[in-house]
Amino acid sequence: MIRLDHVSKSFEARSGEPVRAVGDFSLTVEKGEFVCIVGPSGCGKSTILNMIAGFTPPTTGKIEVNGARVNGTVPEALGYIFQKDTLLPWYTVRQNVGLGLKFAGAAKRDMDKKIEGLLRLAHLSDFADAHPHQLSGGMRRRVALCMSLAVDPKVLLLDEPFGALDTHTKTHLHSELLEIWKELGQTIVMITHDLDEAVTLANRVIVLSSPPSNVLLEEPIEIPYPRDVFELRQTAQFATHTQRIWKVLGNQFRNAA
Amino acid sequence: MSGEQAHVLAGGVPVPLAAKAARKKALGVRLRISLTQIAILIAWLGLWEGLTRIPWFQQNTIFDPFFISRPSLVAARIWNWMQPGKNSIWPHLMATLDATGLGLLVGVLSGFSLGVTLAQSRFWAKVLNPFIVSLNSTPRITFVPLITMLFGLGMASKVVSSWFVVFFLVFFNTYKGANSVEQELVNFCRTLGARPAQILWRVRIPTAAAWTFAALPNAISFALIGVVLAEFVGSTTGVGYLITTALATLNATDMFAAITILSLVGVCLVYLLGAIERRLLHWSSEFRND
Repeated sequence: MIRLDHVSKSFEARSGEPVRAVGDFSLTVEKGEFVCIVGPSGCGKSTILNMIAGFTPPTTGKIEVNGARVNGTVPEALGYIFQKDTLLPWYTVRQNVGLGLKFAGAAKRDMDKKIEGLLRLAHLSDFADAHPHQLSGGMRRRVALCMSLAVDPKVLLLDEPFGALDTHTKTHLHSELLEIWKELGQTIVMITHDLDEAVTLANRVIVLSSPPSNVLLEEPIEIPYPRDVFELRQTAQFATHTQRIWKVLGNQFRNAA
Repeated sequence: MSGEQAHVLAGGVPVPLAAKAARKKALGVRLRISLTQIAILIAWLGLWEGLTRIPWFQQNTIFDPFFISRPSLVAARIWNWMQPGKNSIWPHLMATLDATGLGLLVGVLSGFSLGVTLAQSRFWAKVLNPFIVSLNSTPRITFVPLITMLFGLGMASKVVSSWFVVFFLVFFNTYKGANSVEQELVNFCRTLGARPAQILWRVRIPTAAAWTFAALPNAISFALIGVVLAEFVGSTTGVGYLITTALATLNATDMFAAITILSLVGVCLVYLLGAIERRLLHWSSEFRND
């Protein structure tokens, strides 16, 4: 479970003046929930994730992950997928996926078994011995996901993980992510600028304003799981949700322009 | 993987056929490049050899064998030097190579260590920055006479000279490499449970090492330059010593022979390095030589 209690974040701009990136932000994500945060670019979405992960402290307010206050260190059992490539290019897929286990000093036999399982889950078994430069963008994303999953995160933070992919690859990864989520049941907070993506995946979508960001809309997505990501987009329910969110988000875009 | 790529590239043409045609074409291009290179070399040597044999050119142009020797004389001299005996080049060549190898080794190890260490501490990097920048912009070979004064005529001053020029090159590249690790990657590893020492060992050092490797071809020629200069300034052995002796006796053939041998040594070392690099850095498209 994740709880943000009246969190704000200010940065010092180059001119020395403080800039308020995140206004007064409160959010509770229940265990096993999948929440998507959407908002105009530069609205402090990534800052919120970075604060949850303990990379940067909030200026005011309180953050708790799994009941423990986040205070300068990365919370236990937290996974984070960046939009940027975070694979180590000198390691094979297998070695990359095993990295977290190696950091923890796991026994070789346990490691191998776990890595095999994860690679099978992400349909990467055939590429276990390939190096990252031999993989496509979509495959590299799946490896990054496996790297995170290897340390059994209970909370997954995803920062526009599919931003750089084409629609086809993206949709496939959506379906795989939903499968993995169903099987492992993590609590997920995902940032995206892709409204369709948010409605496809999340059971709750949160729309942020331009900075200092506040919550403009909380939209529960009432489409039952398991969702067929390919069929979903044609349903009336999907259209209703996206329209309702777009009404708020589109105004933000208009104001920002 | 490569099969899949070949299939995409071929765009409908059956893969083996297309691949075969592509290979054949690539081979043809390579052959043409090699033939042209050989032709240029032969033309160059032929001109040099031929013009230095024509009296008019000898008297009226630079093509005087007293000043520029000629390829056949240089080749004969090298052959002569290869034979054992009083005139053998081996003791000189070994002296130069030993000093180069040692200077390179010490220069790379110390440059790498300090590069990685300094990248760990923003404070010390800032403190040392002006000193390093000014030392780096000083022409470092000007220190060679001083080094010879300090370390005497012999191996020690050659190794120190070569270390001195190699060190900064390697240090700078390593430092830049260690700093090029992106914060996202570091943060990602933290979520995987990495301690700072583990991030250093598994992320920063490999990244820095790839950058160090990229600097090595230059480091090799710098090391050779350092040693030969020290041999010019004051020494009783080495290929550089042979060149200064040749100057004292105005012997152009000896000079060209010595230069040819040094350039062959450099080429061999760089090729060797390329082979090691392809094995070690096969994962990196950035540093691959092709």
